[in-house]
Amino acid sequence: MEELGRDFLSDLPQSIIETILTKLPIRDAVRTSILSSRWRYKWASMTHLVFDDRSATQFNDRMVVEDRIVNFITRFLFLHDGPIHKFSLSSSYLQSSPDIDQWLLFISRKDVKELVLELGEGEWFRAPSCVFSCKNLMRLELVRCELDPPPNFKGFLCLKYLNLQQVLIPPDDIECLISSCPLLESLTLSYFDSLELTVRAPNLKYLILEGEFKDLCLANTPLLVAISVAMYMTDDIAEHFEQSSSCNFDKFLGGVPKLERLIGHIYFTKYLSIGNGQRRSPITYHHLKFIELYQVSFDDIKEVLVVLQLIMNSPNLKALQISGSSNTTAATRAPDLQFWDEKLSTDCTLGQLKTVKLTDVSGVPHEMKFIKFLLEHSPSLEEMSVTPSLYVTEGRLNMLIDLVSFKRASSQASIVFIHEPA
Amino acid sequence: MTEADSEIIKPEMLKAYVWLQTSDGSIQQVEQEVAMYCPFICQEIHSDFIKYRAVLTRRGSPLTRSLFEKMDTKRLCELTSAADSLQLKPLVDLTSRALARVIEGRTPEEIREIFHLPDDLTEEEKLEPIKNTMDDPRIRLLNRLYARKRKELKERERLKNVDVEEEHADDRSVDDLLSFINGDNDDSKGSRTSKNKKKNRKRKDHHKTTPSNSTSSSSNAVDMNKKESNELDSVCSNPSLHGKVQTNVCHETKLLDIEDDRLAAEDEFDDCDLDDDIDPALKEKIDREVEDFARRLNSDWPERMQEILSLGQERRPLRLTINGNGSPRRYTNGFSCVDYDHIAAGEKVTPSPTSGVPKLL
Repeated sequence: MEELGRDFLSDLPQSIIETILTKLPIRDAVRTSILSSRWRYKWASMTHLVFDDRSATQFNDRMVVEDRIVNFITRFLFLHDGPIHKFSLSSSYLQSSPDIDQWLLFISRKDVKELVLELGEGEWFRAPSCVFSCKNLMRLELVRCELDPPPNFKGFLCLKYLNLQQVLIPPDDIECLISSCPLLESLTLSYFDSLELTVRAPNLKYLILEGEFKDLCLANTPLLVAISVAMYMTDDIAEHFEQSSSCNFDKFLGGVPKLERLIGHIYFTKYLSIGNGQRRSPITYHHLKFIELYQVSFDDIKEVLVVLQLIMNSPNLKALQISGSSNTTAATRAPDLQFWDEKLSTDCTLGQLKTVKLTDVSGVPHEMKFIKFLLEHSPSLEEMSVTPSLYVTEGRLNMLIDLVSFKRASSQASIVFIHEPA
Repeated sequence: MTEADSEIIKPEMLKAYVWLQTSDGSIQQVEQEVAMYCPFICQEIHSDFIKYRAVLTRRGSPLTRSLFEKMDTKRLCELTSAADSLQLKPLVDLTSRALARVIEGRTPEEIREIFHLPDDLTEEEKLEPIKNTMDDPRIRLLNRLYARKRKELKERERLKNVDVEEEHADDRSVDDLLSFINGDNDDSKGSRTSKNKKKNRKRKDHHKTTPSNSTSSSSNAVDMNKKESNELDSVCSNPSLHGKVQTNVCHETKLLDIEDDRLAAEDEFDDCDLDDDIDPALKEKIDREVEDFARRLNSDWPERMQEILSLGQERRPLRLTINGNGSPRRYTNGFSCVDYDHIAAGEKVTPSPTSGVPKLL
């Protein structure tokens, strides 16, 4: 330690001090007020406020903790001095309360640009109308809340990032909300029930959806670059699909020419397969480089067709990851394997495909034909890894035999069979 | 900065170097790829003759983190400042995070020592004598007893389902905030009357309107301390009321807790050890113990009191204010935190109202 210790820390520019304070748990940031006279109010001009359970001391009594958090935040806001650009509140101890409404009112007057609210599991918080008057909001993230936009709400004109998780909102309003945010670039909707969603967002680049969707339509999303969808299915929705006549593939992927990355979970492939004719879609995804599809049921020829359609319409595909569906309910009829030899046009070449990762492979006939197809049409393939499904124990040898026999278009292709001893 | 840079950044197999002259005249050789991250340098150099492929290890790479930890804080501050001037955002981010990690979880003394911060809030500290003698084991014990008492009372009240009397009419904003942060066990200070909030605000406003007063900031803090002492004053005058004493105890501990996190930790730890049911006899005993300790503590303070008195009159604002209860209280220079008037102790503790000049802010 030096003899003449100079105080270098306090001389740092205010923007750096703020960066440092923002990286501390907020309780420690406020504690700096007793370090020295120069530090007494440095914390009070922080513009990024993050209140979370890190600041809550652990007590046994929830009420006590809740009271203390409420007091802390109220006191903090009262003493705060200056603009607030980010207000993030995530606490499992807090429930809906008038205090939170008041904080939001205070924040809405402070030119807030980013708002994150995640409260406890109890009674869901109902967002007060002052939230809708935050004109400069650029990022909004709400978890477990009720959102009811007022009738004269014209939208968040600066909003670029919207993330709603477990949010109760009238179904019409959600579409209005999305389309009234002209600059929206990233949209995440999670855990919605039975939502019929049509997305109109001319600047949207990233879309993440998770939940039960009755209907999904991307009506005006020309700039979309990445999509990730996890579709849950209920019996109602399945029935609804049976009766549906529209082609889901076109409705969803019909207007995304700039798509670079597509990720589908659970019933996504099944959803796309509904209403899908056997004709090849005219749309080519020139930019699509990464496809990840999970829970693809290779027993269902329609799902296989969806996968093929995607692959064959993506000439620049670089990496492919497909995970099979593990519940191998034996098909009641023999699969129509002629399709592979006769109907499938063989003039497609996946010239850029370098890596293929197949997991949960059950070895059903369509699946093996699919692998064969990939190997035959990928001249640049470098590695294909195959991981058999855990439920397949005896078929592994046959799988290996087949794999070894397939012709490979790429001389550098290596096949890695990942075999964990049972 | 550049030498620090090359420490942090994993040297890749790059062949291109540029020569940079630093402000102190020395010329440093820097890998071009590194130098290009600085927008200034980028503009100076035409990049058409070299292709870079290397990846700068940053953003949480364990290598960089450990390097920062070994770096002493002076260099860390200098590096942060330099990174800021050179607009190297990733480096600013890394160094700020490293500094934040140094600060996080430490007591104020440790932080002051590490960063050589002047301890110039000592006026307020000196006015809270118990805080000064934090390391005194008697203080610790006293603190523990206070905590025990608080817990008992809390349990009692919860069992009886009686609302806690709101005695804490006054509460300072900042210090109360700090006490919360420091894990104060007391929750009966939970609510404040709006009247007192206004009072705080008025003070704060007043403070803001007199910027020329060089001691105004510290005085403001002193104000808040005063309110605290004021509260205790009113409370101590009725030692027989358990509730009041409890408040007194809480405030004491709060003052104690502000600077020493360890004490707070001890409190919580002690709380766990306690029995929930304490019979009144034991309670009386503990009460007596507390007062005994307080008396013993007070016997040391006359010396300290002299010391402070000799440091300068002007730093001891003596004021008359009215607390939320509406009754005028006299503020001394802090020794009335616990009103030992009724305890036979060094009589120097209680100054007469005519001594000192009332200082109005």
